[in-house]
Amino acid sequence: MSYALATLWYERARFFPGVLAVAFSALLIALQCGLLLGLFSIVSIPIDESQAHIWIAHPEVPSVDLGRPIPEAWLSYIAMPEIERVEPCVEGFGYWDKPTGGMELCLVIGTRVGPDAFGPVRRLTAEHRALLAQPGAIVVDEGEFGRLGITKIGDTTEIVGKQVRVVGTVTGLRSLAGPYVFCSYETARTILRPPPDQATFLLARCHNPADARAVVERVNKYHRKIMAMTAEDFSFRSRWHWLTKTKAGIALGLAALLGLMVGAVVTYQTLRSATTASLKEYAVLRALGIPRWRMMLMVLSQSFWVGLAGIAVAIPLIHLLAIVGNIGAKVILPWWLWVGAMAVTMTVALLSGLLALRTLRHVEPVTLLR
Amino acid sequence: MYHDGVLTAPTLQAWDLCRSFGTGEMRTDVLREVSIDLYPGQLALLMGPSGSGKSTLLAVLSGLLHPDSGRVTALNHDLWSMSERQREDFRLKHCGFVFQGYNLFPALTARQQLEMVLRWGNGAPAAEARDRADRLLGMLGLSRKADLRPTQLSGGEKQRVAVGRALIKDPTFVFADEPTAALDWKHGEQVVELLRNAAHDAGATILVVAHDARMIPHADRVFHLDDGVLVEGAERPLPMFAAAADVPAYEAL
Ligand SMILES: Nc1ncnc2c1ncn2[C@@H]1O[C@H](COP(=O)(O)OP(=O)(O)O)[C@@H](O)[C@H]1O
Ligand SMILES: [Mg+2]
Repeated sequence: MSYALATLWYERARFFPGVLAVAFSALLIALQCGLLLGLFSIVSIPIDESQAHIWIAHPEVPSVDLGRPIPEAWLSYIAMPEIERVEPCVEGFGYWDKPTGGMELCLVIGTRVGPDAFGPVRRLTAEHRALLAQPGAIVVDEGEFGRLGITKIGDTTEIVGKQVRVVGTVTGLRSLAGPYVFCSYETARTILRPPPDQATFLLARCHNPADARAVVERVNKYHRKIMAMTAEDFSFRSRWHWLTKTKAGIALGLAALLGLMVGAVVTYQTLRSATTASLKEYAVLRALGIPRWRMMLMVLSQSFWVGLAGIAVAIPLIHLLAIVGNIGAKVILPWWLWVGAMAVTMTVALLSGLLALRTLRHVEPVTLLR
Repeated sequence: MYHDGVLTAPTLQAWDLCRSFGTGEMRTDVLREVSIDLYPGQLALLMGPSGSGKSTLLAVLSGLLHPDSGRVTALNHDLWSMSERQREDFRLKHCGFVFQGYNLFPALTARQQLEMVLRWGNGAPAAEARDRADRLLGMLGLSRKADLRPTQLSGGEKQRVAVGRALIKDPTFVFADEPTAALDWKHGEQVVELLRNAAHDAGATILVVAHDARMIPHADRVFHLDDGVLVEGAERPLPMFAAAADVPAYEAL
């Protein structure tokens, strides 16, 4: 066992606050980011819930809810052997006439709805798809009824003056901004009236989903004016746009930073007090000619173990709090967030160790002679 | 075994060492032209009243404190014309230290306190360091205490561990500043005996600062420092004649 670890264990009471502080930092970062990811995962629902592997969009589209018209003729650009099929998609905001009075901005998403179409979100059942084939038929999340001013399936209203009828509901597809309105490609065209021969996105499916990235790279290499993305990339791009556009990201980021600083200060204090307590022992080693860097390494390994112990404490706590948090909100903790939070926390612990190294300047063998 | 220490060349020599602290009115001359020769295989005792400059002299001789003037050569190296790094290297290779306090790491076992010196100082492999530590602990009568931490050891045992830490690298020099001050006579005597064995068996050059006159019979040579002036006090004959010799009484301070 390393001397640093032995020290940490023997003097655990002294190191405990540092371990807790590090755990607190890890917890704060992971949960803050997890909540944020959960929040913004709503933005990319139309991508994540669709079965398309590739999305083709106007190069200036920052997010799935901010599409721009592109020629349907771009279909030909991805006519490649790996591609199974391509479908167009029309998407855009429109004003929903609330039957109860007033307007609500909603996001109309029109895709092919045939039995083998892959554009619609997965939660649309075969029954929904059949019903959506009728002109003006739409499906909304039942959680949006209040916002839309409707009460039941079968209610009718108008979106930008076009008659629509609610033919079914889904759950779990509530939106962050305007409610999602799912309908057929034709219905969406009637409502949104894009220029002829223009769509908002072109969706493609590969025979083998693993080919998607290579196809995307090839398309982007040869056709500069169009933007092809894998579903994952577009999903990330959309969330990232919201994360950076809204100040929520910054606010939560600052809170996490504050947590880090608290962690760093407490860890630094812990390490400093441990080092100060051992100054005489270090001084003996210096008298014996043992180089200073050995002692520096000792302090740094202590900070490493504090970091590791903190992370070990944090992991179960994060799991627990994520479960608790998921009751009221959505907490998403992808593996890279775990890795990132742990890495940042360890970095903070090691930085505190670096700061604590200054304490070693007080090591002076001659002070042992009295 | 060393029986002819005095006949060999001194391992440590100092000429006209001066050292003062403070300036102006506050200035005190702690060492006034101190010269001393120390030989291998001998334990030299440095005695003197409190504040007489014993620790200061030990620090200057061992490369820990710069003298104002004078020269120290150790193994024919001029200690105070070396760079800081070279001096540190010299101490690493050749010097062991024992201080009044035990200064042991509270978290580490007796064995680890010793091992550490070899592993950190010489980069010795773990197994080798452990073997050597265990062997030395045996010689110090601490075999059964190897796995105990300082809080589980008595004062005498702790100081023996500290002596072990000084001896583990087989040093040419051992400097001990009042190693027995915190111990009762019986344990103090043990500690000095251990240091003396290191001189006589391993040929080390050992300088011990002490103020208990009962130490004198254990020393090969005795120096007396008073107000910064060093005189060779009660010199004991060479070990081979020791049995026959009379030990002059040391005047109590
Ligand atoms: N760093 C220092 N600064 C000022 N005075 C010192 C310092 N070190 C020692 N002294 C003084 O030098 C004198 C001798 O000290 P020291 O060598 O420790 O004596 P001893 O070990 O014989 O008791 C004392 O008067 C002490 O106050
Ligand atoms: Mg002293």
